[in-house]
Amino acid sequence: MKILVAVKQVAALEEDFEFRADGRDVDGDFLVMDLNEWDDYSLEEAVKIKEACGGAVEIVAVSVGPPTVDEALRKCLAKGADRAVRIWDEAMRGSDSIAVARILAAAARAEAPDLLFAGVQSSDQAVAATGIATAGFLGWPHAAVVSQFTYTPGAATAVLRRELEGGLLHELEIRTPAVLTIQLGINTPRYASLRSIKQAAAKPIELRTLADLSLNAAEVGEAGSSARVRRMYVPDKGRAELIEGSAAEQAKRLAAIIRESTGAA
Amino acid sequence: MSRSEAVTRILFEAFPAAEVRLFYVLGLAACAAFAYGVYVQVRKYRRGAPAALAGGMWPRLGWMIARVLDHRTVERRDPAAGGAHRLIFYGFTLLFIGTATITLQYDILEPLFGVRFWYGRFYLVFSLVLDLAGVALIAGLLYMMVRRGWLKPPKLDYARPDRSPGDPDFDRPQYRREDWAFLWLLLIIGATGYVLEAARLVWLQGRADVWDTRWWSPVGALLAAALRGVGLGPAGGGALRHGLWWFHGLIALGFIALIPYTKVKHVFTAMGSLMVRDPLAAQRLAPIPESQAAPGVAAITDFTWKQLLNLDACTRCGRCHEACPARAVGAPLSPRDVILSLREFAHATLESGTLPAAAELNVHGKSPGQVAQETLWSCRTCMACVEICPVAVEHVPIIVQLRRKLVEDGAMDPLLAKTLATIHKTGNSFGESRRRRGAWTKALPFPVKDARREPVDVLWFVGDYASFDPRNQKVTQTFAALLAEAGVDFGILYDGESNAGNDVRRVGEEGLYEVLADANVAALGSATFNRVVTTDPHSYNTIRNEYPDFGGRYPIEHYTTLLERLFAAGRLKVTQPLRYRVTFHDPCHLGRFNQGYEAPRQLLALLGCELVEMGRCRSNSFCCGAGGGRIWIPDPAGGEKPAQNRIKEAAAIPGLQVYAVSCPKDLTMFEDALKTTGNEGKFVVREIIELVREALPLAAPAGAHA
Repeated sequence: MKILVAVKQVAALEEDFEFRADGRDVDGDFLVMDLNEWDDYSLEEAVKIKEACGGAVEIVAVSVGPPTVDEALRKCLAKGADRAVRIWDEAMRGSDSIAVARILAAAARAEAPDLLFAGVQSSDQAVAATGIATAGFLGWPHAAVVSQFTYTPGAATAVLRRELEGGLLHELEIRTPAVLTIQLGINTPRYASLRSIKQAAAKPIELRTLADLSLNAAEVGEAGSSARVRRMYVPDKGRAELIEGSAAEQAKRLAAIIRESTGAA
Repeated sequence: MSRSEAVTRILFEAFPAAEVRLFYVLGLAACAAFAYGVYVQVRKYRRGAPAALAGGMWPRLGWMIARVLDHRTVERRDPAAGGAHRLIFYGFTLLFIGTATITLQYDILEPLFGVRFWYGRFYLVFSLVLDLAGVALIAGLLYMMVRRGWLKPPKLDYARPDRSPGDPDFDRPQYRREDWAFLWLLLIIGATGYVLEAARLVWLQGRADVWDTRWWSPVGALLAAALRGVGLGPAGGGALRHGLWWFHGLIALGFIALIPYTKVKHVFTAMGSLMVRDPLAAQRLAPIPESQAAPGVAAITDFTWKQLLNLDACTRCGRCHEACPARAVGAPLSPRDVILSLREFAHATLESGTLPAAAELNVHGKSPGQVAQETLWSCRTCMACVEICPVAVEHVPIIVQLRRKLVEDGAMDPLLAKTLATIHKTGNSFGESRRRRGAWTKALPFPVKDARREPVDVLWFVGDYASFDPRNQKVTQTFAALLAEAGVDFGILYDGESNAGNDVRRVGEEGLYEVLADANVAALGSATFNRVVTTDPHSYNTIRNEYPDFGGRYPIEHYTTLLERLFAAGRLKVTQPLRYRVTFHDPCHLGRFNQGYEAPRQLLALLGCELVEMGRCRSNSFCCGAGGGRIWIPDPAGGEKPAQNRIKEAAAIPGLQVYAVSCPKDLTMFEDALKTTGNEGKFVVREIIELVREALPLAAPAGAHA
């Protein structure tokens, strides 16, 4: 029994930041990197399945990215992943969600897991497509936004619940192997102590390249992507003002603002 | 000479040889039972992990003997019980020495070397001393009985806050039975000793060397007069003496045999515990040894032998139970019960010939003897328990060791886990960017030096709360203005500073603490300065007591002593005395942890404030509830919080105007508690820094205080 957990190292903005010279992304100096929040939950869900059955489950964390991604993978090892696989090739730089899904699908074929977990979305790009697109490439059953999951290792099917709009729940039975995107709140992710993170630093992180996965450069990176970022920018801020003072003063200021904005001043 | 030698203790006189032999057989059997019991206890301790002891053996021995003799730790905060214990201790000890010296002469010195000393004046003086010792013993025991039977102080109630009525180990009536049995046994031994003495006098009233010297045993002589008064003659006295001799002798031998198996063993374990005491037990926690595979304590055998000895030293006196702020607000923790639970667990698992299977040694859980998570997470590591324990039980290191295991398993409040992850990521508990650590300086009308770039006299370690909490930032800016006003050459580390780690370590996240301590020691190492000052007692404690283990040794002081010196040197002058009626809350980490009791009080006096102490002050200060990482764990809704309990104590002071604090976390906790207890408007919570500022309006007002 094997569970593949696809994870991503996401970026969070520092207080003050600058854009890259090409204007298509934030300058990396101003980004704080961390494991995507949703992936914390999908990894925990895998570890729970493993613990519930007493350990005959192999959990493999997999991520597409440059060497800096190792830090996020180490965190997965610290939290209970048995192996960590990083897939990278310079040609993969600039891959969009679909291209990343293509890469993950190739990795899934190589690993042949019984389940593939991904987060519903990433907190930085929020495309929410990678997991389901991976299922598409693999031709596997899939379910998105899973909020409850029940599976006994070895069983041919799993039962899951999804939250729908309006307080409805969707209960599904799904054949394995399947791809599931996991929603926040499905469990309580465990804390990875610094000691366990340090110990995980000693574990190897396996590297896979294009050739290892029988992909070619045209299928990945910007070449293999169907969308391209044109620019990233901060929109002009709207204005807001808290009017203070007595009712009369507030009314006077309000009238002035209306005159100003209608050009009547 | 012969007259003098005849004046001596009557031992086996008129006993048939068979009875004397029987007594020796029973005596040796009691000693054997005692020795076996000691062996079982020592084997139990040896099943613990190795322990490193602080300080040399001789100073520790000297300190222990001094404490045993002066009873200073026993009489603190309970002088009546301490006094009674002193009577029992000295009474019992003298009587024991008396009996031991008789044995020494009769069974060893005389048969082997022909040496005799138990006669004549020596005997008579000793006889008087022992008679008085018996009075002391019985008086002490009677007070203890009155205390348990009628006074019933709440700390002697064995009901546990971490168990419910109906649980098998809720109020442990067997403890009460044992307490009473102990008192009665000693009382009976003492009382029958006197009656035996009186019976002997009546029996031998015809012998001048016995009868004429009887007033050297005044209690015995009085009792003898009473016995004669009710018609007892020499023959009856002889019979009574024979019977009582055996009764007294048998229970005394029984007592000796029982010592290692009952609470009586505290006479040895308490001495042992005092001798291995670490004066910095809570201030400087032990690192995880390199050789240890898993951090913290999971199994009872993961405790050190010293900690196992600590468990056995506990006398259930309840002082820690009384002092604990978590217990006071109804949290499921009593330090006493953590110790007693673990003691029962050790008793059940480690006293048998073979060690049980590893699975049966796990001390975490809710079964009898185990310690629950909620109990461990209730602890504020405020050190009130360690500080008051008369027998040097070190609860805080034991609790933190247990927490280390919980942290490793991730068994903690999700908010705490999140905060720890945040501290790892950003170096502070507020989740703010590192770059913003020094942002509070921007509001000042003068630049604050970056100590990493230029040398300074005073390096100010600011700490998380003082750097990031908006309310505390105002205090921080005020302190900077005061330093500038006094012409102090100071600087800070800006984004080179990380959370000092004091509370992270006390949570039990040792790995993260190591990262923080290493980072700060490296940052401090990159700066040039003469000494360190901080407004944060938590940072102060860990830098002062724990960073030396990480290679960081700096002269460091809390701001209160620095300000006091600046006033003494005339660099700061009070121009507007305040005349407030104030009370002062001793921060745990400044007061109990580091004895910084005087400087804040002297500052308040300098400012012209009238200080009215709360009942719980100085070493008995009541924790605000924020320590040990509790500031990152939400308190249960509805219940009282320690800070509220404390504010209510202050509110009882008539005419109180200012509740003065000298710790950033205190300011946060007590301003909140002031509001939630409905005392807002009655008095205010102020940092001493703010009071200083008020008493000396600065020449150049700092922009931040407008």
